[in-house]
Amino acid sequence: MVAQGLIFGEGPVWNRREGRFYWVDIIGDTIWRWTPEVGAEVFIRPSGRANGMTLDRQGRLLVAGWGSRSVWRIEPDGVVRTLASHYRGVRINTPNDIVVRSDGRIYWTDPSGALFIPGMEGDDLQRYLDNHPVFRLDPDGTVVEAVADVSYPNGLCFSPDESRLYINDTWRAHIRVFDVAPDGELSGGEVFYSLVGDEPGVADGMKVDGEGNVYVTGPAGIHVIDPSGRLLGRIKVPGHTTNMAWGEDDWRTLFVTTYSSVFRLRLGIAGIPVGPEADA
Amino acid sequence: MSQNFEPVASCQGQAGGVIARDGHILFCAVDESRILDFDPDSGAVSEFRRYTSRISGLAPWPSGRIYAAQSGSRRVVQLNPDGSVSTLSSRLGGRVHNHPFDLTVDGSGRIWFSDPYSAIPAQGPQVFERLGHASVLRLRQLPNRHWTMDRMTTDTSFPGAVQVSADSSTLFVTENDPDPQGRRELRAYPIFADGNLGRPAVLHTFGSDHRGPHRGGYGLCLDAGGRLLLCAGSTESGPGPAVYIFGLDGHISGTLALPENPAACCCLGSEIYVTTVGGRLLRADAG
Repeated sequence: MVAQGLIFGEGPVWNRREGRFYWVDIIGDTIWRWTPEVGAEVFIRPSGRANGMTLDRQGRLLVAGWGSRSVWRIEPDGVVRTLASHYRGVRINTPNDIVVRSDGRIYWTDPSGALFIPGMEGDDLQRYLDNHPVFRLDPDGTVVEAVADVSYPNGLCFSPDESRLYINDTWRAHIRVFDVAPDGELSGGEVFYSLVGDEPGVADGMKVDGEGNVYVTGPAGIHVIDPSGRLLGRIKVPGHTTNMAWGEDDWRTLFVTTYSSVFRLRLGIAGIPVGPEADA
Repeated sequence: MSQNFEPVASCQGQAGGVIARDGHILFCAVDESRILDFDPDSGAVSEFRRYTSRISGLAPWPSGRIYAAQSGSRRVVQLNPDGSVSTLSSRLGGRVHNHPFDLTVDGSGRIWFSDPYSAIPAQGPQVFERLGHASVLRLRQLPNRHWTMDRMTTDTSFPGAVQVSADSSTLFVTENDPDPQGRRELRAYPIFADGNLGRPAVLHTFGSDHRGPHRGGYGLCLDAGGRLLLCAGSTESGPGPAVYIFGLDGHISGTLALPENPAACCCLGSEIYVTTVGGRLLRADAG
């Protein structure tokens, strides 16, 4: 166990250069970090109810601003820079999770959960968009609606070669897979996997390992699905699992967030590195 | 006294809180998570707000703000004139409270709201357990503009409608225990100068008959003369759905029969508007 006593853990990401693990407590309104042999410490509080996080190729922390209704980044000098908050002049919903492609294009899911879930309030709780899109931010600063027809988009992740983007839908309890064009456009979108099980847990966080297997939170913990959509097995996790991220030097440690805790476990297959090491 | 109520607007599912504002009637389409705007002059109905997370009660405030009981998100919010929504406070002693149902504002700007349990859970993950009590709570703004919340009743278990008297000296509360042996009554709590409540007087009690317990009161409002109007009852048991009019002496001075089970009520001039469980907005002229 890495941490406990959280109210709603989420947003795990490993920073290999720092040798540190970062995660959030959404309702606790805090970004935490954990250093081996040191332990956990507050990194940012208040956080604008930060949710999903990742690192770009420059090593900058990218944050899905759940309560702040924005996507933001921490610059090397520590300055927080808002990258996106509106789409066509309208305030977006509440960014949930975030990924960045090797060319710098950022994709995030934009359901409206922070507008209605108790304890996750931001500064404006009015929803202005009539759908829950997946957005893309191009390097020139343009916000594009990448997918419009998701019921409640939540986790998202690329295949190892970035030719596919997986997006899960909490309300429909399934994962869809999209083909990714060089210019970032998405096509396809067929259902890749439907979650089954009566145990606690929903489609939430999602990641891919180095062999292309998809790991998604769901009933009982984490469902592991091969690239063809076949369930390989489930990793049972105590508590309600929210997200996961690989880390440590060999990227074989899986950090798992739940409502209340952060766990880590060792796996045989390495995950996909994030940050500058992704191109190594 | 009896009047014919006519339907003037409708929504899908249950309707809820209703207020008069700027000559219009705003009412909650609770199951649709919308607030609708009825224009009495033209008869037109338009959408005032959408995505309201089951707002069930409304209270206007002179600055143009509207306070709202957001049952689906377990908090009291403020609807701002610019279209945005702010939360005031969702915690009582650090704990997220239950499901606000109705609210009223006194002359000092304090917001009194009923906080019953709800059979419909809040939206999203169920992170917070409900409180160990269902009470009337009060929000009070501090000089630093933050809001603080206090529990004001300890004798309620199913608080429903709330209404402060015109002189802010009395808080009217309906208690709606559906158990045949439970209390279903309209209470009048004196509001002391220090803001606390005294022992309530029971203005009306709903009983039971061979068809079952009588449905209690779910809507309260004041008319232009400061009289209290209570909408209560059902077609399933008792004397039937009605608006009860209480004189300033606390006695019933009249009743208006309703064609269906009411949810809430408000007055605009001499007109009475009543929303219903069946999703209609009814109107009658009280003369």
